[in-house]
Amino acid sequence: MRLRDKRCLITGGSRGLGRALVTTFARHGARVAFTYSTHDGDAAEAARLVEAAGGAASRVFKGSVADPAHVKATVDALAAEWGGLDVLVNNAAVTQVLPISLLEEADWDLVMDTNVKGAYLMTRAALRHMIRRRAGHVLMIGNFASERVIEAPAHYAASKAALRGLTDALAREVGRHGVRVNLLAPGLLDVGMSRALPQHRQDEYVARAPLGRLGRAEEVAEFAAFLCSDESAFTTAAKVVVDGGL
Amino acid sequence: MPDERLLHETTSLCATCLDAVPARVVATPAGEVWMRKACPAHGEQAARLSTDAAWYEATRAIAPRPSPPPRVAREVERGCPFDCGPCASHAQRVRMPVVTITSACDLACPICYVHNKNDDAFHMPPDEFARVLERLVADAGGELDLINLTGGEPTLHPRLLDLVRLCREAGVRRVSICSHGLGLAKDPDLLAGLAALEARIALSFDTFDAGVDAELKGVRSVAQKLRCLELLDRAGVDTTLIPVMTRGRNDHEIGAILDLALRTACVRHVEVHTVTYAGQGGTSFDRSGRISMVEVLERIAETTGGLLGPADFVPSPSAHPLCYQIAYLLVNPRGGPPVPFTRFLARDDLYAALADHLYLEPGPRLERALQDAIDRLWAQGDDSRALGLLNDLLRTLFPPGRPLERAEALRAAERAVKAVYVHSHMDAETFDVERAYLCCDANVRTDGTQVPVCNDNVLYRDKEPRFMATPRAWGPRAGGRRVLPVVG
Repeated sequence: MRLRDKRCLITGGSRGLGRALVTTFARHGARVAFTYSTHDGDAAEAARLVEAAGGAASRVFKGSVADPAHVKATVDALAAEWGGLDVLVNNAAVTQVLPISLLEEADWDLVMDTNVKGAYLMTRAALRHMIRRRAGHVLMIGNFASERVIEAPAHYAASKAALRGLTDALAREVGRHGVRVNLLAPGLLDVGMSRALPQHRQDEYVARAPLGRLGRAEEVAEFAAFLCSDESAFTTAAKVVVDGGL
Repeated sequence: MPDERLLHETTSLCATCLDAVPARVVATPAGEVWMRKACPAHGEQAARLSTDAAWYEATRAIAPRPSPPPRVAREVERGCPFDCGPCASHAQRVRMPVVTITSACDLACPICYVHNKNDDAFHMPPDEFARVLERLVADAGGELDLINLTGGEPTLHPRLLDLVRLCREAGVRRVSICSHGLGLAKDPDLLAGLAALEARIALSFDTFDAGVDAELKGVRSVAQKLRCLELLDRAGVDTTLIPVMTRGRNDHEIGAILDLALRTACVRHVEVHTVTYAGQGGTSFDRSGRISMVEVLERIAETTGGLLGPADFVPSPSAHPLCYQIAYLLVNPRGGPPVPFTRFLARDDLYAALADHLYLEPGPRLERALQDAIDRLWAQGDDSRALGLLNDLLRTLFPPGRPLERAEALRAAERAVKAVYVHSHMDAETFDVERAYLCCDANVRTDGTQVPVCNDNVLYRDKEPRFMATPRAWGPRAGGRRVLPVVG
C-alpha cells in the first residue's frame, strides 16, 4: 500500500495507461480522482475498476485538460473535498500519425494544447496547493519517442520532449518547497496507440527491445506508483524510461 | 516465317495430344507475338500470345524475385509440366493455394476451363480438408495468408460452412470462395453464415448483357448476379468480381464492370481473367474470343475514359510477369474518381511493395513508399487529389482521439483502396513452361501435392476420377524425350 490515503489526480484516466494508473493507484491505497475528455462509457468502466481494486469511490471529471476552466474547476473541487492534493499525474495526451508534410497548424495545436499546455495548466493549478503544504509530487507521463531515436510523429515527439524541459525546470524551481517533479517515459505498450500500429511496427519494436516484448500498462503503472510514493522521496528531476531496454 | 523475329524458345504442348513440344515465340512484322510449334503427330500449330510485341518483350524482361517452394514433392523425371507437386525445378512458392472442394456444378458454362462431375459428385470431407489445411499452414510457417475454395460450384458443398470454419480455426487470414452467386442469391442463411465467418466471395461476373451471358455461361443470370452482389454488399462481405474477358463479346464492357466494382462498397478487387481454352467447355469455345493481356489493358483504358491505363499496371513479383498485371486505386470516400497508385507512386515502388504477397499488404516497403509519395507531392506543391486522399486516409486510420484497433485500421485501409488484377491463364495452345515454372497459384491436393492451376486445368484434372466419370490417360509421349525445335 505504497500510496495509502494519498490524494491523487490522474489526467486521462479512462482507458489505456490512464486506466492502469487509476486502478493501480487505488490498489495501493490512494484516493483517486481522474479526468477524461470524451468517452463516458470508458470513464464509467475505469471508475468501476477503481472501486473493484479496493479504492474509495473515485472522483471523475469530464473535460479537456487544455481548458483552463475545466482545470480550475477540477482542482478546486478536489481541494475543497479532500483539503489538498498530494499527487498529480499528467497522463492525458493525444497523438496522430502524420508526416510533417500533412501536419497542419491545427494538428500541431491540438497535440501541443493537450500534451503540453494541459500539463502546464494542471501542474500550475495543483502546485498552489502543494506549495502551500510544502509537499507533493508531479509526475509527467512522457514517451520513449522523446528519449530514443525512433520514428514518431513530429508534434507528438516535440510535445513529449517539452515535458522533459518542464520536468527539469519545475523540479529545480519547486524543490525548495518540498515538491518533487519527475517524468516517466514508457515504451510501446500493449494498450493505446500500439494497438493501431501496423503489425510490422510492433514486430520491429519487439525485435529491437532486449526484453523482446511490448510493455504492459500495469508494469508502467507500478513504477509510477513507486515514483509517487514516499519510498522515492529523494527522487526529483528524474527521467525514467520504461521501455524494455530499447 | 520470314521477317519474323525470334523472341525466345520454350516448351509448350500439342493442342491435340497434350504432349510436350518445343515452341518458338516470335514477333511478327505486324507487331504481334505468336507461338509456333509442331507436333510430330499433329503438325504445325500457332497461337497469338499478344497483339503488342513491344509490350510483351518489355513485360517479359521483368524478372520476378526468386522464391522457391519450401518443399519439393517430386524430383524432375519427365520435365515440366509433367512432374508437378511441386518439382525440384519449380521456382515460385505458392501465394494462392486453391482447394477444389467439390466437383458439382449446376451450370455448364461454354467457357468453363475445368472438368466437373455431377453424377456421384465429389465433396471433400471436412477431415480430408483439415489435412490439406494443416499441411498448407505448416508450409506457410504457421500463418497462412490466403486460401481459395473452388469447385465446381463450392456453394453446392453440403458442409461449406464447416470447411470455412476450419480455415478460421487454423488462423487463415483470408478465405475466399469462388461462386457464380446464383445459390447465394437464393440462400440467405448460407450467405449470412459466410458473412459471420468473414469469408470472401469471388463472384464471377462477365457481362451486363443477357445474350452475352447466355453465350459465355449458358444461362441468363445477370439479374441474379446483381442481386447476389447487392446481398453481399448489404452483409458487408468482401467481394472480388471475376469477369472472364473474351474478344468481341464482352471486352467492351470491362469499363462498366469496373465502374460497378468502384460503386459497390464490398468489392475489394476485380480479377479479370482472359478466356482460356481448356476444360469441359473452354476447349471447344470459339477461338475468335481469344484475348491477350495487353488487349485487356487497352480495353480497360478505352472503356474507363483513361481512369486506368496500361502504365498503371505492374506485374506481380510473385509470378511470371505475363501472368498477372496489377493496378491499385485509392478510393475517394466522398465520391469522385479514384486515383491509381501509379499516379503518386513509381511503378517500381508499387512492384516492390507487392513482394512476398499476391495482394498489397501493409509493410515497411509500402509504408515507406507512401511516406515518400506524400512528401514528394507536398514538396512539389502539387495540389493533387492524391495528396488529399492520402491525407484523408491517414486521418481515418489514426484519429487523434481514440486509436483504432489494428483490425479496424486494416479494415479501414482495405476500404480505401480497390485493386484490378488481370490474370492471363494458359491453355494447351498458349502453354509456356517458362510461365509454369513461376506459377504461384496452385491447386492443392489431399496428398499434399501442389499443381500450378494452368497445368491442372490443361493436364492433371481430367486424369482424376473425382472430376471425370472416365478419367483420361496420360499421352504415351507426355513428358517423354524431347525433339529439337523444328519450326521457324
